[in-house]
Amino acid sequence: MHQIQLEDISKRFTISQRPKGKHSAFKSLFHREKRTVEALKHISFTIEEGELVGYIGPNGAGKSTTVKVMSGILTPEEGNCSILGRTPWKERTAHVANIGVVFGQRSQLWWDVPARDSFELLRDIYGIPRARYTERLRELSKALELAPLLSVPVRQLSLGQRMRCEAAAALLHSPRILFLDEPTIGLDAVSKLALRDFLKEENRKNGVTMILTTHDMDDIDALCTRVMTIGHGRLLYDGTLQELKKTYAPLHRIRATLQSPACLPENPPEGILRWKLEGKICTAVFDSRETPAHRLIAALAELLPLQDIVVEEQSVDEMVASMYQSLDLS
Amino acid sequence: MKVSPRTARSPSDREKPMNGFFLYFRYIRLQFLSGVQYKGWWMTIPQVFLVVVTDPISTIFMFSRFGSIGEWSMERILLMYSMAVTAFGLAETFCRGFDSFPWKMVQGGEFDRVLLRPRSTVVQVMGSVFHIHRAARVVSGLAAIAWCLWRLQIHMNLLRILFLIYTLAGGMLLYMGVFILTSGIAFFSIKGLDWIYIFTNAGYQVTRCPMPYMPRPLKTMFTFLIPILVVSYYPASVLCGWGEPLWKGALALPAGLMFLCLSLLMWRFGVRHYRSTGS
Amino acid sequence: MSTQKKLPEEAAGKEKAPPLPGGEKTAENFSESLSRKSRTKLPKKKDSSSCGKNRKTWRAYPAIFRIQLLEAIQYRAAGLAGAATSIFWALIEITVYTVFFTYADKASMPGVSNGMSLSQVISYTWLGQFLFLMQPSGINPDIQKKINSGDVGIELCRPMDLHSLWAAQNAARAASPLLWRGVPVILTGLLMPPALRLSGPASPGAFFCFLLGCLGAWFLCFSFSTFMCVIRLNVPWGNGPCYMILLIAMVLGGTYLPLQLWPDFLQPFLLLQPFAGYTDLPMRLYLGTMPLSKAWLGLGLPLFWSLIFLLWGKFLMKRRLKTVVVQGG
Repeated sequence: MHQIQLEDISKRFTISQRPKGKHSAFKSLFHREKRTVEALKHISFTIEEGELVGYIGPNGAGKSTTVKVMSGILTPEEGNCSILGRTPWKERTAHVANIGVVFGQRSQLWWDVPARDSFELLRDIYGIPRARYTERLRELSKALELAPLLSVPVRQLSLGQRMRCEAAAALLHSPRILFLDEPTIGLDAVSKLALRDFLKEENRKNGVTMILTTHDMDDIDALCTRVMTIGHGRLLYDGTLQELKKTYAPLHRIRATLQSPACLPENPPEGILRWKLEGKICTAVFDSRETPAHRLIAALAELLPLQDIVVEEQSVDEMVASMYQSLDLS
Repeated sequence: MKVSPRTARSPSDREKPMNGFFLYFRYIRLQFLSGVQYKGWWMTIPQVFLVVVTDPISTIFMFSRFGSIGEWSMERILLMYSMAVTAFGLAETFCRGFDSFPWKMVQGGEFDRVLLRPRSTVVQVMGSVFHIHRAARVVSGLAAIAWCLWRLQIHMNLLRILFLIYTLAGGMLLYMGVFILTSGIAFFSIKGLDWIYIFTNAGYQVTRCPMPYMPRPLKTMFTFLIPILVVSYYPASVLCGWGEPLWKGALALPAGLMFLCLSLLMWRFGVRHYRSTGS
Repeated sequence: MSTQKKLPEEAAGKEKAPPLPGGEKTAENFSESLSRKSRTKLPKKKDSSSCGKNRKTWRAYPAIFRIQLLEAIQYRAAGLAGAATSIFWALIEITVYTVFFTYADKASMPGVSNGMSLSQVISYTWLGQFLFLMQPSGINPDIQKKINSGDVGIELCRPMDLHSLWAAQNAARAASPLLWRGVPVILTGLLMPPALRLSGPASPGAFFCFLLGCLGAWFLCFSFSTFMCVIRLNVPWGNGPCYMILLIAMVLGGTYLPLQLWPDFLQPFLLLQPFAGYTDLPMRLYLGTMPLSKAWLGLGLPLFWSLIFLLWGKFLMKRRLKTVVVQGG
């Protein structure tokens, strides 16, 4: 049986909006328009234990809604969802005892007291036995270097420090599934890397399933084995990042540094789509699905005095942008 | 969503969760620690006393100008009034989380987090805010009750003291019910929740009107719809022998309890709505 | 004796946090959208290095007032629900007054009501509920948020005078509940059966003076709430002192009990203190308990106190901001 299974999940919201046009403020005194928005349209997927899944999509695509459905905060209009054999919205307390949620933009720690106090309350909330709690807290503080932070009021921590405490708070009760909603938002490079390492390690050691929504493609690149893309409430892609790259970022780039200035021949070798030379740097773009890189390198070496050569993929951000564009999401 | 946290049975490797009552006090402890983090937190106490003193001042001025209304002296009115106020203060002290709930949690989206924890939503919300200075209303209410009883020359034996506690408990449950009811409604719309003041801050003001002169609609409303008179006038009458039968006074606790239970139903209904609309 | 007598945090959190339509707007982006709009109204010229003294900037203040007012009167449902509360409340008050005037032991003694008849007290109650709506029951939450977060510094960079900006915001805030909450209360009062009815003014002249008095009350209310915001600039004190002053102001305003019914020995003080202009002075003019020959006093006093609050506030702010700038760097 799959650990997480969503079948045909649909979710609608009704929002009221102000009529458009001139004097709208005045008109809306008497009349407001209601509109139904389909946040999720027949979403289905399964996730196995221990998977690291990245969930991406433009703003407003339905990422957070999916996470809220899976964590039991929202009840969908249609469809079935089974997580660890339970329906989240039917057995809330039993369900949430086994999951952890980190919201990058919202804290679950008590603001004015040291994190240690929050952790102790969480211990009571989740009913963690004392011995287990002490052990787990030691483990987490070691991995996240929390020791100096535990006795400082949370409001005095920096964002990076606070996110480390948030991660610990979400994992204190050893959940089997962890949802992360934009966990690295606003973090500096060091904190980001540290958090990613920690999550990877936690996944490897304890087999925690993680579902991560983010706009930071490096998060996905560094952590996720599998990517799901959602747009306009539909699941548009589900597979590996490699596969995604092949589909949406087939173009690779060769950057060659020349030993001495040279002139480009009129016609590039077969397989190169376009190329240019700026000083001693030559850039050539090719489609990696059609032409293997090594053949082009050999061809270039014959034509030009090469000193150094690098093959680059398109950046993930570029790829996602082109994907959103081709799917008409942006 | 379940009211009883006992139903929150966790996987086998977990300790049996402590019951909701103790968990509530763990929450309160943390809130208290948060509060005293700020310098000058005690300054709120004189503030509350100021509210408590200015609250009945107009009643006192009216009595000093117009004199008693037959046998209805200022002490009588003030006794009923302070019984209602004390009950209100108790509910406010212990249930403050619900009092500010619609604005703080529904509008701010903090309720999501409550749903993500494997405990009763009621206990979590109750414990989400605590202001020690709220107790000032209780203290001054109790002082006023004592003063009125002394002026009315009621001898307080043990039985009467127990009866007073019984009544105040009923009143507290009633006002807790009002707060929870408000919050339950807030899931649907927080527009215009102002009318709820009819039941809370405005509600205990009706006790200022002497019973024989109270218009029937008001009397009916505050006896049957929201039983404020059941926790103030009738018990006060029994306590001081103004002629109401004992059983009417004894209804204080059952009435409060019943109101609370109905409010909890509304609350559950509201939570279900929240989860289907996402607010 | 009024509905909205509340403890500090309640006033801060509840009533003043405007219930927002449809939940599509949060309080933050609400105020943000306001500031965005108001910014577009500003003259964009950057050459006005003499910050705020630009001749055209004064137009920004009425614009801000208008935008905030327009935004605030969106909340029809909230206003009508509030009106229901006010009406209910007025009815309880009237019941209590009626009992005292009819059945109290000393009710028939001459002079006991200090020259006020029952029907006058009833009219006072209805219009008092209307005037009450303008009174500040807390510190303007938008401004308070800016003070707490230190965003006041950002405001200072705009080519506007901060004190006037606050005054414009508070003026809109004071006037905004009148349409959907205040007007229904008055209409209900007029349509009540005779024993509970809001009766007409003492004379056409009295009515005219009353209208001027309302304007004066509005002026007084927003000057005073601006003054409170300035006091609040002194962050370390917190809200406490402000709320105590605001509460005392409300009690002395006369909504809770007509000031004429307060003990006799307090009367001279009650008349001259700043907050009589909230409710009591306009009502004295309406009911005719203050003769028209003395109207200059009833209209002049609120104006006098408003000016004091505005000038004093401006002075304090100037002094205060100097130290803020020094500290904030």
